[in-house]
Amino acid sequence: MPHDVIVIGAGHAGTEAATAAARLGARVLLLTANLETIGQMSCNPAIGGIAKGTVAREVDALGGIMGRAADRATIQFRMLNRSKGPAVWAPRAQCDRALYRSAARAELERHAGIEFLQATAAALLLDGERVVGVRTTVGAEIPARAVVLTAGTFLRGRIHLGTGTQVPAGRAGDPPAVELAEQLEAVGLAVDRFKTGTPPRIDGRSVDLARLERQDGETSGFRFSHYVRAERPEQRPCWITWAGEPVKEIIRAHLHESALYGGAIAGRGPRYCPSVEDKIVKFPDAERHQVFLEPEGLATSELYVNGLSTSLPADVQLAFLHAVPGLERAHMTRPGYAIEYDYYPPQQLTPWLEVKAIEHLFFAGQINGTTGYEEAAGQGVIAGINAVRRMRGVEPVVLGRDAGYIGVLVDDLVTRGVDEPYRLFTSRAEYRLLLRQDNALSRLGPLATELGLLTDPERQERERRAAAEDQLIALAGSTSVTPDQANPLLAVAEETAIAERQRVIDLVRRPRVGLRPLFAACAVVVPTVCEESWLAAEIELKYAGYLARERESAQRLAELTEFALPADLPYAQLQSLSTEARQKLERVRPASLAQAGRIPGVSPSDLQNLVLEVVRRRRSAA
Amino acid sequence: MLSDTIAALATAPGRAAIALIRVSGRDAFGVAARVLRPFDGGQPRRARRSQAVAGEAHDPLDDVLYAVFPAPASYTGEDMVEITTHGGLLVPGEVLGALLAAGARPAAPGEFTRRALANGKLDLLQAEAIADLVDATAPAQRRAALQQLDRGLSARLGGLRDEVLALEALLSYDLDFPEEDSGPVAPARVDAALVTVRAAVGDLLATAADGERLREGALCVIAGRPNTGKSSLFNALLGRERAIVTDRPGTTRDAIEAPATCDGFPFRLVDTAGLRDSDDLVERLGIEVSWRYLAAADVVLLCVEAGRPLVGEERLFLDALQSPALLVRTKGDLEASAPADPAELRVSALRGDGLPALRERLAGLAFATLATHADLAPVITRERHRVALARALAELEAFAAARASGLEPVVATTYLRAAVTALEDVIGVVTGEDVLDRVFASFCVGK
Repeated sequence: MPHDVIVIGAGHAGTEAATAAARLGARVLLLTANLETIGQMSCNPAIGGIAKGTVAREVDALGGIMGRAADRATIQFRMLNRSKGPAVWAPRAQCDRALYRSAARAELERHAGIEFLQATAAALLLDGERVVGVRTTVGAEIPARAVVLTAGTFLRGRIHLGTGTQVPAGRAGDPPAVELAEQLEAVGLAVDRFKTGTPPRIDGRSVDLARLERQDGETSGFRFSHYVRAERPEQRPCWITWAGEPVKEIIRAHLHESALYGGAIAGRGPRYCPSVEDKIVKFPDAERHQVFLEPEGLATSELYVNGLSTSLPADVQLAFLHAVPGLERAHMTRPGYAIEYDYYPPQQLTPWLEVKAIEHLFFAGQINGTTGYEEAAGQGVIAGINAVRRMRGVEPVVLGRDAGYIGVLVDDLVTRGVDEPYRLFTSRAEYRLLLRQDNALSRLGPLATELGLLTDPERQERERRAAAEDQLIALAGSTSVTPDQANPLLAVAEETAIAERQRVIDLVRRPRVGLRPLFAACAVVVPTVCEESWLAAEIELKYAGYLARERESAQRLAELTEFALPADLPYAQLQSLSTEARQKLERVRPASLAQAGRIPGVSPSDLQNLVLEVVRRRRSAA
Repeated sequence: MLSDTIAALATAPGRAAIALIRVSGRDAFGVAARVLRPFDGGQPRRARRSQAVAGEAHDPLDDVLYAVFPAPASYTGEDMVEITTHGGLLVPGEVLGALLAAGARPAAPGEFTRRALANGKLDLLQAEAIADLVDATAPAQRRAALQQLDRGLSARLGGLRDEVLALEALLSYDLDFPEEDSGPVAPARVDAALVTVRAAVGDLLATAADGERLREGALCVIAGRPNTGKSSLFNALLGRERAIVTDRPGTTRDAIEAPATCDGFPFRLVDTAGLRDSDDLVERLGIEVSWRYLAAADVVLLCVEAGRPLVGEERLFLDALQSPALLVRTKGDLEASAPADPAELRVSALRGDGLPALRERLAGLAFATLATHADLAPVITRERHRVALARALAELEAFAAARASGLEPVVATTYLRAAVTALEDVIGVVTGEDVLDRVFASFCVGK
């Protein structure tokens, strides 16, 4: 029987696309050039962080594997932003690369619908404007009803190490994909180049750890996964040091040898993940830069030197490493490098990540100009779901900007495009109070259920948790506390005492006053719920007014989103629009008025005229 | 779609017998019910009489006619209420203000038409005609000077928006980059930025009075006892015979309003019935109207014949006035002796003596801040601007209060975002990337 969906690439986008498709009952072929590197963390050994941690939880809520694999590979865990209030807590786990890979593979293999094949895709099989399969480099033609391409940095990837060394590669040690890239360009897809970099790695045994600041993780019960509670392996610390004047001097002296500054690389790199060369050139006044030494895994002492990403020649890298306190005698196990690769400006995609020019072909991950494992995984889920839905002829699914960071991510990509590798931040979300790590399940669980992504036990877990949170919130509304009960608590929180009975729902809005202590104070019987449900319920109650305001504003956006723009509007001919708006709209072909409004260069008056045009068309059609 | 409740004046502002205010949207009837006493949402398309009131105290503003148009049988296709008020500058603005306070927001230019289109209520030919009309009321049609001001205003508002974004960037930096070299942002830096932007928004908001005067014309009311030459002065300032002038006291029964320019600044001159006790019903009503104008005047000219000492009621009048007033000595041609006070404003409407000096004083008084600047600083000229800026300022105040109370930054920044939205409503730009751009421009980030 032919496959329903072929997923090309088994990184963080590919594995999630395959999983989502398989969960929807599709027969999936996961095609990868190397079965040993399924779920490989090619850069830093960590999952999560600001906004990204929330994405990992959203992926999990939608049935993905990232959270489960990370939980099983976590060798150090920290909740970032803990001091800034639970609404912005950001879980981050340092992961053992090998454990992560094996956990990802094991998760994939739980799905009977996923087949694996070690092969390199050479070309897409096309029937007119529709993809109908894949041809491999050994000439095998594999038919399929939809294809998800998640090639990461492999399309015409080129590694730079100084100005002299350039190696065609998708990642250190793996060959690039060239034929497929050439076909995609030949069929007319716009293509551009990005670069990104990675730091050197060193042998931990050669580091003077005693002189470094040790950073241990926290022992919390947190897990990324909502449905599976994995045991964590043994925990490891990170180490903190810094690069000061001696490092800066060495780098300044060798700047012309950097692939980036020596002119060997033309592609643009991310501002928020700068090479150490960038940091020194662009912020010359900064006295020193932090360096985090992160464990690569339990079975090795190798350390990842986070903060010193570079494209300088290997001997210069070794020289500046030796100028870092504690690393004077470090052995460099692998040099850092910069990599340049093809990406496809993502305005060529629909809001459900299908290539506009080629039906049933989906792009996800770094080939869309993003960076980060979590960003890739989020797109993978969306592409996997929609590959199946399009193949079955049902309406594709688009996540709203208020539903998840994944919704923000995909909408930003297809609407605004990218001019540097795209990473998520809380600042990209209009509704960041709504998009929290603690409520990913309540935001996306109902959709996951409706789409058929969840198993029965997962569905029950979701319902159980939603009911528990509702119960806590209802209880806060129906319970009141006396001044005698509440005032000791309020005194501790440095809040003014109350003189009359008050409802818990009102008192909990005060800063530093917790939900659980209030319930305890009035000795009310509370249901047994997990830690996270307490947190979610407390946040919902505490910030009710603010959350309501964001939801209201999200509702206004939804109204604009409901105004659909026909796919065949001849923007270039609409004389009522500005020239810039005509070009931008023609390129993006937004699905709704709201999306059109987010395109840079489209003004409110353009939007107004667009409405005129659409309504006129509707009337003349009727 | 787009169904939140909007309200706007549908007729041109200025002197007119009546004015029409439209309210449209989901809660149009609710908003109207809070302002109109009584209000009945039944019986569509029937004119009914009511009273428009303001505030908790239900202060009466005007006797009005209104009609309700339930969706979809209305101009916009939504629930609509049309309220007919008395015309002029005061009443319609007050009633509109009450509707905004009751939950409507000011309609953006062309928004009723946009809704009508979205709801399929118009065909393109009708819509184009209306859209052209709406476009024509945009800044381009204003006087050249005003247009110049508008550009300045856009830049000023854009600058304020940037300042609020920069403030948000300071807080967002801490949220998005918790492990960076430069460490957390010093609270003093946030406080300083907040103080600056609050003051700047406040300053711009404070220009509202000048700005709206500049757009609509300053209301200059000519008052005085009967037969003190008010109508002659009115005609002289106007440069044409608009008011009837006789030597009979009480000739002017109703207030007459006309636009005039003094020293380059726009005025709406109002000639009023002379103030005196009268048994004549019509004259008494006219005098009542005079008082209402006086209460709202930007500047009052009290006419007293040259050479005549002020009588008691004129002194009382000057003391009772809330608005700035100028004592104008009229009929200068009939008085031979030189004024005792060299600063006295003596005019002769007949010969034109003293008029240039009066015009200059008028401009200085009504446009004090504007007239002293050689370059006109940006001012806000519309109710819409004022409402949005006031909203922005309120959000900034709320942010300050939230910060002081120890509310988490991520929650407090919702106020800043609302402030930015309010400013954007005036300018009409929406982009999401700006905060990050600021973060990247000012910090070395990325471990």
